[in-house]
Amino acid sequence: MNTPKVLPQQRRENPDPQERSTPVPRLVLLLALVLVAFGIDYISHAEVNSPAGWGDARTRAELIGERPAAGQGVDGGAIYAAMCAGCHQATGQGLPGVFPPLAGSEWVVGKASTAAAILLHGISGPIQVKGQEFNGTMPAFAGSLGDAEIAAVLSHVRSQWGNSAAPIPAALVTETRARHADRTTPFNGGDELAKLP
Amino acid sequence: MSPLAILMSAFILSIVGLGFFIWSQRAHLTDPSTEGSEVIFAAGEIGTPEEPAAPSGTTRPAADADDAELAARARADASTAPLVFFFYCCAFVWLLVASAAGLTASIKLHAPDWLTAEAWLSFGRIRTVHLNAVAYGWAPMAGLGTALFVIPRLLKTELVGGRYALLGAALWNAALIAGLGSLAYGVSDGLEWLEIPWQIDLLFVAGGALIGLPLILTLRRRQVAHLYVSVWYMGCALFWFPVLFLVANFPGLHHGVEQATMNWWFGHNVLGLFYTPLALASIYYFLPKVIGRPIQSYNLSLLGFWGLAFFYGQVGGHHLIGGPVPGWMVTLSIVQSMMMILPVAAFTANQHLTLKGNLGALRQSPTLRFMCLGGLMYTASSVQGSFEALRSMNAITHFTHYTVAHAHLGLYGFVSLVFFGAMYFVIPRITGRDWPWPRMISAHFWLASTGIAIYFVSLTIGGWLQGRAMLDESRGFMESVLLTLPYLKARSVGGAMMALGHVVFAAHFVRLLIARGARRTAAGPFATAAEGI
Repeated sequence: MNTPKVLPQQRRENPDPQERSTPVPRLVLLLALVLVAFGIDYISHAEVNSPAGWGDARTRAELIGERPAAGQGVDGGAIYAAMCAGCHQATGQGLPGVFPPLAGSEWVVGKASTAAAILLHGISGPIQVKGQEFNGTMPAFAGSLGDAEIAAVLSHVRSQWGNSAAPIPAALVTETRARHADRTTPFNGGDELAKLP
Repeated sequence: MSPLAILMSAFILSIVGLGFFIWSQRAHLTDPSTEGSEVIFAAGEIGTPEEPAAPSGTTRPAADADDAELAARARADASTAPLVFFFYCCAFVWLLVASAAGLTASIKLHAPDWLTAEAWLSFGRIRTVHLNAVAYGWAPMAGLGTALFVIPRLLKTELVGGRYALLGAALWNAALIAGLGSLAYGVSDGLEWLEIPWQIDLLFVAGGALIGLPLILTLRRRQVAHLYVSVWYMGCALFWFPVLFLVANFPGLHHGVEQATMNWWFGHNVLGLFYTPLALASIYYFLPKVIGRPIQSYNLSLLGFWGLAFFYGQVGGHHLIGGPVPGWMVTLSIVQSMMMILPVAAFTANQHLTLKGNLGALRQSPTLRFMCLGGLMYTASSVQGSFEALRSMNAITHFTHYTVAHAHLGLYGFVSLVFFGAMYFVIPRITGRDWPWPRMISAHFWLASTGIAIYFVSLTIGGWLQGRAMLDESRGFMESVLLTLPYLKARSVGGAMMALGHVVFAAHFVRLLIARGARRTAAGPFATAAEGI
């Protein structure tokens, strides 16, 4: 077998390494025992008996979520986002000249029964809000929202964007609904609303 | 049986099985012939040095290497030199490409309006280019090149089938160019670590298999009875990678949650079962080589190797903590992540006991400097990673820059530094030329080590604060983003230093290649006769 020329770099290096057969240090063996003990302990405390579909370390309680306390069953903010924000905007500012603002509106923070009546039957006609004249249509929600939902969304808008009027109980909405039970058309603007008792 | 009982019994049985297996290796229960091992261990009762030519604790002068060993060494090197040279040239190119892409991505995180005219320079693409240029360019080219250099030396034979490896490397680099091009163009498979489209991955599989083939052919021609620990690591890395890569990229096989599980099975294993073994094998070879002492304990080597091989495959699930995957899988991955401390401790103890009393060599050998620092970073990043897997810590650090700092401590502080050290040793032996400017090696070392220190410390602090801010319901999300800004800027400074170090490294390599007739023979702080760069 022909041998190539040995380079000076190859000549000057140490021989290829070997291993001695010194035993494993006691400390490393101790560490192994500690780690195995940890593993057994960790597995025995792990929540792995729940169905795999629930995912890692989640419990039934977490998946169900918090049950709402009695009386606050409805999320007014969610109703607002779904049914009101399209016109009045998420900021509650409305659109100038088209949709009146709810932030700082005298109708929102004013008499609670009038506010409930507006939501139940809507408005069709001119109305003054914060000194501005609006002439549009507010839809009626008497058919689509229950008393608790109307109370929740009204309480929501009365507490947002700087408004700080008291929340409205569902009983007041029930009472208002009964008072206007024979009404089939929207209110004729601000004038008629102002005359409500 | 409940899942808990199955999990517990599987864990205990597998640990007992692993212990028995390692013991049986030590007791030669699986050796067809024990003769070869006895040659090495005959004199080796407890604590006795068995280096025949060396009194305990001294280095054997290099000049004593006998002629037969020198001839075998020269033949082994001659058979691999052109091949390793090609791998290393590719490694240099990808190192520079990856550095540029990484630095660009880093700067964009705190200067988002910079370089926005081109789509391929957007953060999402340039970061992916950076990751893939490191993962499939720099690290494998440097690591596989080193493996191809070391394996024939340790088997005392010539490399068989080097042409296959050359063809494989050509295919591999063609695939990487195509892959990076497609990522920059915006075509991606959309899974981290597996972004390159599977059609291109076929080339990687073919190239990787061709690079692994010479290992099997050379192993069959080996002239030694006992396989040194480096051969185990390198051999297994060459075997593990194609399996990982093929399974992970098989089109249409993985869907939904199971795809995410596979994604992190691959993402973590490619670190632990490909780059890590290649780098550990380099430390196991070059560290005792440079200081001229045998590795302290074969038993610790066995524990470190089989521990890594056994535990690592199961740790990837800790990336999915809190995710919609079965609880037993995540629990097992957390436990096995902690168990990884054992092989890491075994490796660390082995290196520490081998080095003890030989630290003076650090002043002379740049290879040893890079190797020692890299080995320390292996211990640090591994232990850090084990604790990051715990649910309590993961809740804070997951989805923050903390994880990025950890990844760079492993892949740069450990793997890349070790490969730098290996290249400083190997290149003079495959080119027959010495490094012309030792000061540039110093500059490279200090730029790289200071750079990664700044990088790691700043991102670790920033990531931790970011994680705390994200968990605090009273603080907005943007606050958790804005508070990382100074740390991201510091990261860019560290990254720029690392990139500058790579430019110095590459320039030094070019200088070595064109320095005809200007061979340095001795002198200088890094060059004494036995120091071994």
